[in-house]
Amino acid sequence: MMMEWASETAAIFRRWNTKLVRQPIFIFFSLIQPLVWFLLFTQAFSAIGDIPNFAQLTGTASYVTFFTAAVIIQTITSSALGAGLGLVNDLESGFMDKMRVAPINKSAILFGKLFSDAITIVVQVAIILLIGLAIGVEISSGLFGVIMILILAAAFGMAWSGISLFVGLTTKSDQTTLSVGLLTTFPLLFLSAAVMPLGLLPAWVQEVAKVNPFTYVAEAFQSLIIEGFVWDKIGNALIAIIIIAAISLTASILVFRRKIR
Amino acid sequence: MEDIIVVEDLRKVYGKDILAVDGISFSVHRGEVFGFLGPNGAGKSTTIKILTTLLEKTSGRAAIDGLDIDKDQAAVRRIIGYSSQEVGVDDDLTARENLLLQCSFHHIPKEKAIQRAEQLLETVKLQEAADRRLKTFSGGMRKRLDLASSLVSDPKVLILDEPTTGLDPQSRQDIWEYIAELNRQGMTIFLTTQYMEEADRLSDRLCIVDQGKIVAEGTPLELKARIGADIITLSVRSDDPEACQKASTAIAKMEWVKEVGLCSVGLSGDKGLTVMAQNGSAIIPLLVRLLDGIGVQIDQLTLSGPTLDEVFLKLTGRALNVVERKGAVKGRGWGKRGKGT
Repeated sequence: MMMEWASETAAIFRRWNTKLVRQPIFIFFSLIQPLVWFLLFTQAFSAIGDIPNFAQLTGTASYVTFFTAAVIIQTITSSALGAGLGLVNDLESGFMDKMRVAPINKSAILFGKLFSDAITIVVQVAIILLIGLAIGVEISSGLFGVIMILILAAAFGMAWSGISLFVGLTTKSDQTTLSVGLLTTFPLLFLSAAVMPLGLLPAWVQEVAKVNPFTYVAEAFQSLIIEGFVWDKIGNALIAIIIIAAISLTASILVFRRKIR
Repeated sequence: MEDIIVVEDLRKVYGKDILAVDGISFSVHRGEVFGFLGPNGAGKSTTIKILTTLLEKTSGRAAIDGLDIDKDQAAVRRIIGYSSQEVGVDDDLTARENLLLQCSFHHIPKEKAIQRAEQLLETVKLQEAADRRLKTFSGGMRKRLDLASSLVSDPKVLILDEPTTGLDPQSRQDIWEYIAELNRQGMTIFLTTQYMEEADRLSDRLCIVDQGKIVAEGTPLELKARIGADIITLSVRSDDPEACQKASTAIAKMEWVKEVGLCSVGLSGDKGLTVMAQNGSAIIPLLVRLLDGIGVQIDQLTLSGPTLDEVFLKLTGRALNVVERKGAVKGRGWGKRGKGT
């Protein structure tokens, strides 16, 4: 049973990877917006680094270094849309029916796609980090820190993909999947510690930020870039990711089983 | 003969009151080609989606090879092959990759899968295009590949939803040959179609369905015999707008004539009549004389045996107008899916 699941998931994983390699442009589509923020926003707002307390709170006076975490998160959430969009496309093209008539596990269809998305996200985040290095961002945790960032990014990406899977499978509409994904990212980003350190946020935003998973993921990335390995923060991020994954993936699998036989 | 598909009083209601399938019962014998013939919206695709376990039925019973489609869902999926109207293939992959992917869905070991893919590519004559991506394929080639991909597991029952809708005549001919060949090798095939010619040519037996109900069942010959008459189609010179009506009234009174209906004849759509009559060849001279007598001039006249078109017309009172759904095979774009029922 487990072996069957693994081979089914692997087949679907390979399918999506092949599609990705043949359409490499998709790797860059979801990078466009984060890059605009990375290259332009941080320049226009570089004075944020001069705000009193900024350096004490964050450990760096460079806003672009601090903001790298926000760019990584944006890349991940925009890439995570691909999971839902991919499945909606399969539902429309009739390929999903083909898979369903074959004796395969529903969750293999989902996980095959999620694992492939994780690969996409790792490649994208690596590109972001390289661009960061080119514009003067230093990663204090070194090579192992980079690996840790990539692992966290992949895990967060899979968890967040679960949300687009859920919306895609529920609405069966690419438009809705896209809108929900795009409309949730920015408010969550600005209501977290990704754009500003917690201590500089207004009191009510701080309260929201404390229950916003983006805060914990952002703080883990920030610490790996600015300070080094801070295991508390990495642990918090992992807990946030596990909670999102548990909810979004369970919901996706349930809706897949119930709405689509 | 042993039945491999048994369907009893199957119903499907969408929402509260949209009755797509209204209590149909039929059975398919092992080893035959069974056709489901009807217009768009007759309930053909709904029936197919229920049989392939993709859609939940509202009530009734259906079993394939003794396996209940609800209780033994997984086992049913193992013995059927399915090719949908939408053509479920992946355009970013090559033909061979698509087949290998389907093989892996059916847990066929790698070496066997490679052989199987090669063999299927040969069956549907796609060896030369085997390593090209589907983006470059014509609608007919994609459909052939789709057919091949539904065969990877060597299914006991092959279920085809409108296998030639939207295809050019040559591709249609090719698909017909493959279906006939698969059946010669012993595979049971259940197919839906809205083409009379296709149903007539391929099916051993068929059901005519309309508005969710089966209106007739039998071999094509049996169904055509129900008409029990030859068909004479004639068109009249159209100077007199009343000519057709006058002719129709007169012909209806003739001996041997069973039914007369108005129709349009030929590509120009001239006004004409369809006459169902026994002993068609004997009646023609009488008919010509009769019309001459009442001053109606005949432009064209043909005599033929009955076709399934007439059967459908007789049973439902409507002609089975086939409207080609563009994009049913080629279109893969967002939201353009041909919605069958």
